[in-house]
Amino acid sequence: MKRIRKLLAAGAATAGLVGGHSAYAAGTLAGTVIQNTANATFSSGSSISTIQSNTVTVKVDQLIGVAVTALTSTPVTIGTAPAVLIYQVTNTGNGPDSFDLTGAPNVSGNAFNATLQTVAIDTNGNGVYDPGVDTVITNGAASQVLAPDAIIKVFLLAASPTTATDTQTSQVRLTAASVIGTGTPGTLFAGKGTGGVDAVVGASGGTANALANLIASLANVTLTKSAAIADPYGGTNPVPGALVTYTIVAHVTGSGTAGGLTVTDAFPTGTTYQAGSLTLGGAALTDTADSDAGTVSATGITVTLGSITGGSADKTIAFKVKIN
Amino acid sequence: MRTFSRNVMTALVILAASPVLAMAAPGAVALDSSIKLDKIVTENGQTKHEYVAPQKVVPGNHLLFVTSYRNTSDKPVDHFVVTNPVPSPVALESANADTFEVSVDGGKSWGKLAQLTVTKPGASVRAAQDSDVTTVRWVIPVIAPGASGTLQYHAVVR
Repeated sequence: MKRIRKLLAAGAATAGLVGGHSAYAAGTLAGTVIQNTANATFSSGSSISTIQSNTVTVKVDQLIGVAVTALTSTPVTIGTAPAVLIYQVTNTGNGPDSFDLTGAPNVSGNAFNATLQTVAIDTNGNGVYDPGVDTVITNGAASQVLAPDAIIKVFLLAASPTTATDTQTSQVRLTAASVIGTGTPGTLFAGKGTGGVDAVVGASGGTANALANLIASLANVTLTKSAAIADPYGGTNPVPGALVTYTIVAHVTGSGTAGGLTVTDAFPTGTTYQAGSLTLGGAALTDTADSDAGTVSATGITVTLGSITGGSADKTIAFKVKIN
Repeated sequence: MRTFSRNVMTALVILAASPVLAMAAPGAVALDSSIKLDKIVTENGQTKHEYVAPQKVVPGNHLLFVTSYRNTSDKPVDHFVVTNPVPSPVALESANADTFEVSVDGGKSWGKLAQLTVTKPGASVRAAQDSDVTTVRWVIPVIAPGASGTLQYHAVVR
């Protein structure tokens, strides 16, 4: 090793590149050429010479990398409507790559397994699933090609199975795997990188996954029917001419909502409906099919309660028939 | 290990002040550049460095930039200054930063890294870091006829 002295150069040699720092989190782009040329000046006798070395070039290979995160941090409620789970997939490699996207609702520890309905890529980038706008792909199919550092959002639509009960939790996994290849870090895919450079599996193994949480939000509806009899003699015996008041109480529990709830009841054989006797919550309903919730037909009553959230006040329906 | 006369400095100042080209055949130096991949191998808990041909280079890999020189003439060569631009896809590593001078402005000004500062547009002046280095240089006062040597720096692919 030569001893080196601090001296001022007699002549500046070729200037190096100023700046040029990589703007990519993934690092220098695949296919970038690293060049090295040394310059030298020296004096000999009274002459000053400038010389240049050969130029060595090294091409940067493609490092395969991917990251997946769940963007829904709090559990998404799943009830009668499917839940939309949002994930983010980032190409953390230094070259363009696409990724196979696989949703898996069967995760160890789940209280119930949701049914995967749809895998979609957020085409318009608004972070909200837009049916008919966002690109629906087959589960396990590849994304579009992502540039280094590029991010896409992926939606998994999950439906609740009938076995789920209120407040049960579940998880759904999204896995993204490099189309170029996966494997232990360092695995080489010769010539498979951008522009024909070699591709090398990075620390992620070329695949990544994330879990998003679901919580079942379901409603249970209980209907309780009772009858009160008033006979013509001031008693409570079911004799001809006695009036029977039927009362149906709809009780909704759970954290979810019972949607489109309709209560129907048929008149018992041998009875006659007493016109105008239908009530909901003590308020009279007309017998005809109109703007109010009640309708009476020749065979029975129908009351449309609509959507009722769990824990709401009970809905009480009553009507009268006379025993023939 | 070579040692140099302190008189070299004086001689160079005179040379620089009289830029007259001599007619006599000057000394000649051959300069050769190469890049090696610093392969870090852990064997039985021991970390070893193997310098191999860069077959496969990805961000985060460590490279060794080597410049070899040889005085191919029969005359001594004085004030041999080797300037090596650091390619922009790589960042200098600190391990060797004290064996040469560096520039963070493409060779306009030189010094030890600790003495240099960087001013980026819209930012205040800060101390220069390894990754700011644009150029390295070595200054060798004298190369005897037939003498040779190797200069090198370590860098990491950004």
